[in-house]
Amino acid sequence: MKKTFALVVAAALLAFPILAYSAPVKIGFINSITGKEAQIGENLTNGATMAIEDLKAKGIQVELVKEDDGGDPKNALAAYEKLVTRDAVMGVVGPYTSGCANVVASRADQYQVPLLVPAAAKEEITMKGYKNVFRLNAPANVYSKVLMDAVKAYKPKTIAFVYAATDFGVSTVKTAQENALKMGLKEVANEKYQQGQPDYRPSLLKVKALNPDLVFLVSYDADAILLMRQAKEIGLAPKAFLGAGAGYTTAQFAQQTEISNFVVSATQWTDDVNWTGAADFGSRYKTKFGKEPSYHAACAYEAIRIMAESASKSKNPASLRAALKAGSWSGIMGSVKFADYSGFTNQNNHPMLVQQIQNGKYETVYPAPFSKKKLVYPFKR
Amino acid sequence: MSFLQPLLSGILTGGVYALAGIGMSLVFGVMNISNFAHGDLMMLGMYLAYFAFTLLHIDPYLSLVLIIPTAFLFGYVLEKLFINRVINHPHQNQILLTIGLGLIMSNTALLAFTSDPKILTTSYSSSAFNLPGGISISVPLLLSFLITCVIIAILYIFLSKTTTGMALRATSQNREAAQLMGINVAKMSAIAFGLGTALAATAGALIAPTYYIHPLAGHSFLLKAFTICVLGGLGSVVGAGVGGIIIGVVEAMSSTYLSSDWKDVVVFVLFLAVLLFRPQGLFGKMGGQS
Repeated sequence: MKKTFALVVAAALLAFPILAYSAPVKIGFINSITGKEAQIGENLTNGATMAIEDLKAKGIQVELVKEDDGGDPKNALAAYEKLVTRDAVMGVVGPYTSGCANVVASRADQYQVPLLVPAAAKEEITMKGYKNVFRLNAPANVYSKVLMDAVKAYKPKTIAFVYAATDFGVSTVKTAQENALKMGLKEVANEKYQQGQPDYRPSLLKVKALNPDLVFLVSYDADAILLMRQAKEIGLAPKAFLGAGAGYTTAQFAQQTEISNFVVSATQWTDDVNWTGAADFGSRYKTKFGKEPSYHAACAYEAIRIMAESASKSKNPASLRAALKAGSWSGIMGSVKFADYSGFTNQNNHPMLVQQIQNGKYETVYPAPFSKKKLVYPFKR
Repeated sequence: MSFLQPLLSGILTGGVYALAGIGMSLVFGVMNISNFAHGDLMMLGMYLAYFAFTLLHIDPYLSLVLIIPTAFLFGYVLEKLFINRVINHPHQNQILLTIGLGLIMSNTALLAFTSDPKILTTSYSSSAFNLPGGISISVPLLLSFLITCVIIAILYIFLSKTTTGMALRATSQNREAAQLMGINVAKMSAIAFGLGTALAATAGALIAPTYYIHPLAGHSFLLKAFTICVLGGLGSVVGAGVGGIIIGVVEAMSSTYLSSDWKDVVVFVLFLAVLLFRPQGLFGKMGGQS
């Protein structure tokens, strides 16, 4: 009796790794499905959905365990802990916001399960030397750098900052201030605001009175529309509005042509860039979801693809980490390689793009190798 | 920059806050219930205005004629179905019920309308009057303020001159005594909740052309409505009106002279100071109902 039992156990133990190998790869996905960032979260979800379908077509079965953080870091951490302890996932993609990603990143080395951050920009996330944290998108300093490089040739002299009091807003503006200093720009106003307020006029009026050449904005989705609407109302018209990512890169913002025309923004991705499959991804996304993809969708798509392809070839989280560290990929986000450079660890040195809304459409205007249109400067109503 | 600009801008924004606060205060006064679904009722008003504008092509301000009765009816039914069951229960039960109703409303909206914020752009959405001295007044904000004034005036006449209005006030002052005097307090509760809902929806519709419409948009106004109610004195309609304007002006002033990041700090320090020196609020009655 004892012998048979031992045999059964031995057989089960032998069978288990084989079963685990042929079973679909299990990956966690933490995203802001509800809460303030839900609109952008939906783009990430759509991108992930498309990635799963494409992987299936390639013969890679993925079981994606989705968790919602509602934009709240403590929910994101709970989600990560649940994914690694209860669901025993190979790796985790997400979370979306900088605040959430930063907190989850700090725990990844403790649980030894790789985390691939698709679109959070706060620099600190990949600056602490965490072995299990990888980031696909470019960090916050690149947002401001690429935007200022784009307008450098026009020799602006003064700059005003208007931004959301979030991790993303504060860290982007901090590096923007350093870049502004290097360019010899004079900072005339620094307006940090709490999100979701109905009235930004007092801050904008203050900025208008100082008449800066550049107005640098960092906002999430709807606040961007509100700010630009009130900016038009009070007649704020600098030489250029520079919007760093997020709210200034959504299709909905571009549709509001009356207020959004000629706004310049930094983005991780556009569908007219010459990266492999970018245009194809854009058109398939439009057919499937009936709207333009934002860069978040592309980031999520590529992050899930990289994570799943690497995980399908790895046996456990430790070998997955090694595979992510050693591998290189080429796809809709250009070439991807997680490298260690200038203080960053496992950071993809992603080149950002500058786009400008021209007649309701985002046109890539900088850097020159990726762009077809020219920047309209100065800004006009 | 002129001192008048933030003052005017604050008064105009405060008008809409006041409307949200008055609805909540009325419900609290008559029913002694803190309505945590108030923000979500505002959100419904925003969507009603949005759909009236996009589907029926009615100007958001004109659509109030449709929104007010619809919202009143909705509130009336809501009270009859759910709220009146907890009217004599402890506060925590009432809070759970209204929070629950709010969650159902916002999440249904999230499912039905998705989380994409809707933008209601009218021809005057980003236009302004320019007064001498470099002062600009937002056209939609001014219209909202004027409509708010008209609605508050009508509400005032209703509460002070009509039989139903007087019965509502009597119920608010002392529920049991009102019942003994032959007032149908159950009906008064339903009317109060209907009116509260109509006021919330109106506030939502008025803010829609200058704000964005989102299933969770009501939440930031819920906290404001509460602050306004407590500041003005819970249950006091006049207090809520004045409280709204005060909050609007303080916000505008502190964003202008300090930083917009600090405006909530200033608002809540002021709020705490009022509670410290006048615990019953600016226009509240001492003690209140037990």
